[in-house]
Amino acid sequence: MEPDFIPTSFADFPEDVHLCILSFLTPSEIANFSCTSKRFVSLCRSNAKLWYALCDRRWGSKTQIRKWGNGKIGYRLLYKTLSEWESLIGFWRRSGQRSTSSSAVATAAVVPPPPLVSFEWGPSFVAGSRVSPSEDGTYGVVKSPFLWMSLSSSGEPVNFVDPDGKSGEFGSNYCDDSIRKTDLIPVDVNFMGCTYLVVEENMGLGCSSHRNGFRRSLSSANLCSDEEEASGSENGTFGSLPDRYMSEMYQNFANRTSPSRSGAARRQRKREKARQGKRKWEAEHFVKIIDCSPTPSRPLQGLWKGIGDCMKLEFYLVTYDEIGGIACRRVGEPADRFSGCAPVFWTSKAKFIEPPFSLEEAIMYDSRVHLHPTDEENFMFGEPPMENEPVSRILYINSSYDLLIPDLAGTTATDRRNEGRIWQYRNGTFGFGFLWDNFIIDLKHIALNGCLLR
Amino acid sequence: MRYLALPLLSQNLTESTARAQTLSLYLQLSLQVSLSQRNESTMSSSSSSLPSCPKKVVTLKSSEGETFEIEEIAALQSKTLENMIDENCADTPIPLPNIKGKILAKVVEYCNKHAEVGVDAESLRAWDAEFVNVENTTVFDYILAANFLEIPTLLDLTCQSVADMIKGKTPAEIEKTFNIKSAFTPEEEEQVRRENQWAFE
Repeated sequence: MEPDFIPTSFADFPEDVHLCILSFLTPSEIANFSCTSKRFVSLCRSNAKLWYALCDRRWGSKTQIRKWGNGKIGYRLLYKTLSEWESLIGFWRRSGQRSTSSSAVATAAVVPPPPLVSFEWGPSFVAGSRVSPSEDGTYGVVKSPFLWMSLSSSGEPVNFVDPDGKSGEFGSNYCDDSIRKTDLIPVDVNFMGCTYLVVEENMGLGCSSHRNGFRRSLSSANLCSDEEEASGSENGTFGSLPDRYMSEMYQNFANRTSPSRSGAARRQRKREKARQGKRKWEAEHFVKIIDCSPTPSRPLQGLWKGIGDCMKLEFYLVTYDEIGGIACRRVGEPADRFSGCAPVFWTSKAKFIEPPFSLEEAIMYDSRVHLHPTDEENFMFGEPPMENEPVSRILYINSSYDLLIPDLAGTTATDRRNEGRIWQYRNGTFGFGFLWDNFIIDLKHIALNGCLLR
Repeated sequence: MRYLALPLLSQNLTESTARAQTLSLYLQLSLQVSLSQRNESTMSSSSSSLPSCPKKVVTLKSSEGETFEIEEIAALQSKTLENMIDENCADTPIPLPNIKGKILAKVVEYCNKHAEVGVDAESLRAWDAEFVNVENTTVFDYILAANFLEIPTLLDLTCQSVADMIKGKTPAEIEKTFNIKSAFTPEEEEQVRRENQWAFE
């Protein structure tokens, strides 16, 4: 005889269970939920445990929630900031050239920093690292952290750049004095939407003319409320950027007051010229590389590394367009299809040729030489040379956008010169080559599942 | 296992002698085998230091007194049971007076499934989805059981499914789904909603 039982109802759960359930929701859904009864209003409002549960659910596996902001930050603020900063994670490429107008930068012999940057979660910060090909002739890459973004106990962003890449670990214990002693430069990281980033030196730190010591990390809404002084600091350098339309958009949003207000603008420019002399670090702009991994329907998409015929490791980015075409560029070149830079290869239709392959194709592949790293004896992880990797599919590609008129009498050797092939291997990587030589450049992934491959 | 030293059969033996020798060899072999089998079975039941000992099970008793057995490996997914096993309290049936037999059976099934090796992630996900595709009250019972037994994977799975019931619903719909008695008048609710907008968005 079963005793009378009252079915378990939602309200019967202990608080821990309620928090566990709510941790799967977004803040706006929690707002809806808390309207349902007085009890849940008090559960949801100003509940540090709830906001901690939300942070932990979303990012607990990626970063140590309790360490952010020296362990004293309010978790609601942390949630807001981490939701913003989450869009940083991934690969970005530096856009635009460095301006030569500043006297703080040394001579023209300064090598520009590598164009590829990777943002990753740290235990209590987000770290940006420059990723560059190693010079040792292998497929290895070098990762050097240069930017750290963290939060103070009160939730203000605290961002630093290490221009020389010398300081190794970024400790979470710091104070204003120690910052000035080290080589770390305080910077502001400003978002323009989710895919454009500006990292510029925070000249306000230590400057008495600035209202606040730190500036908040800006979302596009906050940009409107900034004073023109705060964000107009890039007036001198913007003109030299090729991505001029982006910079103009940025300026327009940043300077809500009319820029032609002559008196204030002139005074501001004069201040800026004086300030630029003291600038220790040039602002850098970054564009996010979306789609940096292959997908089942786009198997060649993403970031790759390969050894070209100059026997140096280079980075390539393969992108698909909306009409089924593929283009590959070296990383660092603008992705604009109609820019002056020729692609490494392209094709208008990503239609693969399946086996069995014709004799002509087989001969073309077998007669080629795979370009290997020079340091072959020290292959990391014992990867097999690419000769043994079976070819699963072939794709026709071209190396330049020059028009080929197919109906002209016969295709001469010079016309076919630009033609090439992609040989996709069974393990998902691929190699490519052109008819003008008999090499194959074999590409490997730069990163898989968000982890950089060495 | 002792090996028989097989005598060499000389090539000069006649056929019948050879057959007799083979037969005697076979008899010796089979006797040896049955002897060692008996030895093995007696040895295994006494001590647990042999490599091939039987799997340890833990017995759980539901609120109605029904007992369920669960392999120790599967039981380790529950922190509560793991602690008991570590402290050697798991040799007698463990009473769980707040978990009904019907629910306990399913919880045991869940733990067994998740302790299996060689299950691919996709089919496990599908199995989990089927597991929570039941009445709300049953899911709530799973939650309480998972909470009491501290099974984090089951707790996450069931809480996620309840959260999915909240997603996309207006407060009125949520109240209806979960039978929550709202103590608000419409004006109060409107005020709460406005305050929430500030607090959460």
